[in-house]
Amino acid sequence: MKMPYGLTVAITFSVLCLSVIGAAAQGAFDLSLLNVFQGVIICPWTNDCALSPIEQQILTDIRLPRIFMALLTGAGLSITGAILQSVTRNPLADPYLFGISSGAALGAVLAMSAFTGAFSGFLAATGLSVVFNVTTGALAGGALSVFLMLTLAGKSAVQVEKLLLSGVAVSFMLSAFTSLVIYYSTPETAATLLFWLMGSFSGSNWADLILPLLAVVLGSGLFFIFSRWLVVMQLGEESAATLGVPVHKLRLGMLLVCSAVTAILVAEVGGIGFVGLMIPHIVRLLVGGQLHRVLLMSLLIGATFMIWVDVLAHSLLQDQVLPVGIVTSALGSLFFFIILKQRQSR
Amino acid sequence: MVNQSSNNSYTSGDAELAHIAVEHLSLTIGAKATNAILRDISFAVECGSLVGIVGPNGAGKSSLLRAIYCHRYDQPASLAGQVMIAGHPVHLMSRRERACKIAVVLQESALPFEVTVREVLATGLTPRKPLLSFTSKDDTRLIEGIAADLDLTRFIDRDFGSLSGGEKQRVLIARALVQQPQILLLDEPTNHLDIQHQIETLSLVRSLGVTVLLTIHDLNMAAAYCDQLLVLNKGQLVANGEPFQVLTSELIQDVFQVAADVAVIRNTYTHERRIRIAYDMPPSRTIAPGSAGERRK
Repeated sequence: MKMPYGLTVAITFSVLCLSVIGAAAQGAFDLSLLNVFQGVIICPWTNDCALSPIEQQILTDIRLPRIFMALLTGAGLSITGAILQSVTRNPLADPYLFGISSGAALGAVLAMSAFTGAFSGFLAATGLSVVFNVTTGALAGGALSVFLMLTLAGKSAVQVEKLLLSGVAVSFMLSAFTSLVIYYSTPETAATLLFWLMGSFSGSNWADLILPLLAVVLGSGLFFIFSRWLVVMQLGEESAATLGVPVHKLRLGMLLVCSAVTAILVAEVGGIGFVGLMIPHIVRLLVGGQLHRVLLMSLLIGATFMIWVDVLAHSLLQDQVLPVGIVTSALGSLFFFIILKQRQSR
Repeated sequence: MVNQSSNNSYTSGDAELAHIAVEHLSLTIGAKATNAILRDISFAVECGSLVGIVGPNGAGKSSLLRAIYCHRYDQPASLAGQVMIAGHPVHLMSRRERACKIAVVLQESALPFEVTVREVLATGLTPRKPLLSFTSKDDTRLIEGIAADLDLTRFIDRDFGSLSGGEKQRVLIARALVQQPQILLLDEPTNHLDIQHQIETLSLVRSLGVTVLLTIHDLNMAAAYCDQLLVLNKGQLVANGEPFQVLTSELIQDVFQVAADVAVIRNTYTHERRIRIAYDMPPSRTIAPGSAGERRK
């Protein structure tokens, strides 16, 4: 039995909206759903707010930015995964497989260790920290990984197999460098870097959201614009070329957009794996393989999933926050197992 | 069965049926001149005819088709000579223009994800639709009309991957028709099909009314359905003409290294000439009683 697509989208969208509210009511400090409703809907526009200033502050300055960061990350990584799977016609493709995440992580780790290390004074004194920070580091790292992958794969990366293999090679190489940086840093820095690598949404503020929001909105827009061509490409490259699609340029362009989106997200939240691989597959099981459906639903389900992963990371252990990356992978693989099992038994 | 009563023409209304002229076409892949895939090939195809390209494996059949649809090779490849369609050289056309004139049916490859037949057909609209556009009512009507003509309506919303080989081939031909081309190129359309579906596919192609070039292995099928045959051997065009002129036992011996009897059958009323080829096959090996092969049974 399959639900009509429109209904599925409507339900998923409602679940996402409710998740934002529901997640805002979860946490160490007690806020009821009613409080959250008031805080989000009534307080910003009127003066008679039922919430105390401290409740108001926790809601708008701590929880909501964190939830929206989770939302954007989940949506961005999922749609990127869906696109990478369709341009390479490979169901195993995701930002990790291509080394984009590893590259961005390396750049970010280098930038972070420079801040805490010997260069921090120099950077602060010269004002270079504006140009050289974690975000630019991650962007540069992401770009480096794509550059390395394309160089390894040869001229304009015409063969998908070569592209995938060189992506894997680059991924391992850059991960090795990241480990090296961590190995040679002081224990305190190493701990910070390791924790950062496992991903976290804590400490996000509204200003941090701007760049990820732009990346996810612009990236998704481009993906939807080109989805007509991407569908043709899914059916085979040679036949796509006979239908007038510039196959190589399209693939290269999509790779670059995907790496930019991933790098920006990794820079803000650290390494969060498995979402880009898993969510598109779950979506295909729900609504079938039509690309525009897969893209839209990946955005919605990826966002919802990530919001609840973050809630779990905060509530699984008392007075402790688990790294999001651990929860994503553990929960994701379990969820995936169940779905595969169910499909087999059907 | 395919509905053959409707002898529709799927070409775009204003355009005249195309005429293909290939002039001194040579193709070399890689740096060495010894890697010549096609050597100085020239031929012409009349509007609306069904042309079969035959020859042994590696003779350059698919490469000839690729040269016509301007395939871009991964390795450096040098192409000399030119291909003209209705007087216009194909290599000067834009990708899109070319896709509006030439539709190609390749041997289908496995698809990684589920995709419905309707979606596969809709991809045929790509060259004529801007990137940002929705499928209009006219498009849907075109797709459903072609699907009905090719008897695909029953499974238009099914997953393409779940169809049988013959059905997939029909879907791919239907997609090519959605492109509304003047020329249809098919790379071994009868490959992996049983005899019924081979006949069905070739009859369908025959009934379309567009100029068709296809590569094919079965010489009897080629002789039965094609108006013109091009025989390729080691990259050279060794014969070109109507099947009964081209397919002689000498040529088959020469090109395929197989002895064959070619019987020309003439219809007394229509004076149509058809040929039937019977191959000389070596007798099957007999197994001596008590030998290793016998004992294994």
